[in-house]
Amino acid sequence: MNNNNNKLQSVDVSLSTSNSLSSAFPLPSLSRQSASKSIAGALALASCGLFANGAQAAEEGSFTDGWQVDAALMYYGEQERVQAIEAIGTAQKTFDDESTVDLKLVVDSLTGASASGAVAQTSSQTFTRPSGNGQYTIKAGDTPLDDTFHDTRLQGSANGSWVLNSDWKINGGVYGSKEYDYMSIGLNGGAERGFNKDNTTLFFGGAYSFDVVDPEGGRPVALSSMAIRDHYNSDDSFQAAFDATRQRGSDNKQTVDLMLGVTQILNQRWLLQANYGISSVSGYLTDPFKVLSVVDESGTTEDIRYENRPDSRLKHSVYLMTKGALDSGVVDFSYRFNTDDWDLTSHTLETHYRYYFSGSFYGQLHLRYYTQSKVDFYQPFLLSDEPLPEFASADYRIGDMDAYTFGVKFGHRLAGGHEMTYRLEYYQQNPTSDEPLPGQLQELDIFPTQKAITAQFSYSF
Amino acid sequence: MASPCELLMATDDVQIAATMLKLAIEEVSRIEQKYSRFIPHNPLWQLNHGLGKTCTIDAETSKLLHFALQCFELSEGLFDVTAGPLMQLWRFDGSAHIPTQPAIDRAMALVGFERLTLSETSLHLPEGMQLDLGGIAKEYAADSVAYLLAARFATISVLVNLGGDIACPVAKSPPWQVGIENPTKLDTAAKVLSISKGALATSGDTRRFIEVDGKRYGHIIHPRTGYPVVDAPRSVTVIAPNCVTAGMLSTMAMLKGKAAEAFLAEQQLQFTVYR
Repeated sequence: MNNNNNKLQSVDVSLSTSNSLSSAFPLPSLSRQSASKSIAGALALASCGLFANGAQAAEEGSFTDGWQVDAALMYYGEQERVQAIEAIGTAQKTFDDESTVDLKLVVDSLTGASASGAVAQTSSQTFTRPSGNGQYTIKAGDTPLDDTFHDTRLQGSANGSWVLNSDWKINGGVYGSKEYDYMSIGLNGGAERGFNKDNTTLFFGGAYSFDVVDPEGGRPVALSSMAIRDHYNSDDSFQAAFDATRQRGSDNKQTVDLMLGVTQILNQRWLLQANYGISSVSGYLTDPFKVLSVVDESGTTEDIRYENRPDSRLKHSVYLMTKGALDSGVVDFSYRFNTDDWDLTSHTLETHYRYYFSGSFYGQLHLRYYTQSKVDFYQPFLLSDEPLPEFASADYRIGDMDAYTFGVKFGHRLAGGHEMTYRLEYYQQNPTSDEPLPGQLQELDIFPTQKAITAQFSYSF
Repeated sequence: MASPCELLMATDDVQIAATMLKLAIEEVSRIEQKYSRFIPHNPLWQLNHGLGKTCTIDAETSKLLHFALQCFELSEGLFDVTAGPLMQLWRFDGSAHIPTQPAIDRAMALVGFERLTLSETSLHLPEGMQLDLGGIAKEYAADSVAYLLAARFATISVLVNLGGDIACPVAKSPPWQVGIENPTKLDTAAKVLSISKGALATSGDTRRFIEVDGKRYGHIIHPRTGYPVVDAPRSVTVIAPNCVTAGMLSTMAMLKGKAAEAFLAEQQLQFTVYR
């Protein structure tokens, strides 16, 4: 470096305001006499141009006082089973850069058939509809599906978060959903506190929900036998038998959730989150539409019985997640462990990887693996020579299974700050039961694999 | 900003203080969101990922880059916002890791403000080059907040402190007392400077350096050699009319190595140098 005992030189510091492109700047040669003395003045003068207009107006789209509105349309379809169309609208208002209010409205329409829990047979089978009005017949070899499944559900929620001070942030919300034979309302609240310059955040939260179950045709009497019209001489005697399998009035279910978690920023790019949750559910937990086949030693169905589940369930979950910012993308990995006093345990491994092709276009991969072991009262069928248990369910959703999800998502940012995303996911669920099968059941697909596709399109205004 | 920020306000009106704080936080967040190198697909990221195409820039970015150009020219190429590839080679994490010469040569090939084409509304950044406004954005944010508050509350003295970059837009009597950290004894004030109106910035390697064979390399990289400056002071604090000027002068002084004090003495400003 040359020393600064040079004589004063004037330096041109006028900020170019012409619109001409200032092409490559010639690099001042190092041998040039440096004009140290004037540098401070020149810098001060040059910096004036930075603040000529006083405050810089915030750009459109940041810290707006308006609402951020998103709309999405989602299709979910299981192979030959349930189809759902869901419309989702969300609106978020940010009062300052921290406090927020979120509103969400979801309307979904479900149609299609779902597995009733009864097993396939080598001959055709007839079942009474859950309402008691009419019956449906299942072909030989087919998994019995209840095709009366169609429903429209409306869900709404409002959530807010407020910054109390530099350490504490609280949130709260309400939720409600209504469908033809089911209603749910709930509220939630939580708080988080930052430590260590907000590199560590502890949060805890709680939620309470109250659900009313009022299925058409009433709730079945636990483990009662399904009345079939063909077994009765008249409509009246059938109706009396059907009514005997029903409990009058609605029932309810209450859920209390508590969660404790910590988020730790590891470095500039990575963070780690760990949660522990406990959930206590009590009340009517049985599925009024699910049944079990009672089979003899040849695997032939002798009777169909309505399922019954315990009236309380205590669940624990542990969740670990790490998320990292890469040079041109974001990646996360998570693991969840669930266990409960119904003996169901599950493990979930999940990852998302998002890659930015450009500043306004990204692609995202989603992989998920899920495995669960059955609840202690899960049975794919009952045996006629064994005493009836207190609790039983053949609902495949609480049986042994592995499931995989593979998804892709693309997002575009459009001019004016609008954003469009498309998502396509494939889901496959493989039951993994090792139950010995009697007689004819060995020839049938008692534990069918289930496949589903989800497609979603969303637009942010 | 990844550093402690504070706002001192000479008022006992809680309402005014809250408004000022909100303004300050919003402005700092706005600048951070826009110019941080660590936020994917923000405006800076988009410029850095323009793949050699000419990008449109807004008025604020244009002004900031024109100022960076002035700094580049006034420092004879020593202050260079395109020096990112070099900075990333040097990891100041206390390990004795020195980049290899070929790696330094490769990075040097992607450095040089003179290779940019800048106008009022557009910027052409050759492919592989990138901008790092880390050496200027924090000072700019401090000034910006200071001007914003002074424009709205012309009579209330405030001290904006963004991790040691300090701006005081409205004269205060008695003056603010600012402690300068002693690099050999961190977190203790070695010296107190009085400042009524103006700004103060510090450059130094007090917290970020690597030591190899007893030689301490500080975090100021010389864009012409690709190596940290040898014999740079431990820290340089400068008082100037505004924060970007103070920051630039203290950085330039660091780059002058042995000649830091001589350079600052010529500028006829208040300064403190620790070696």
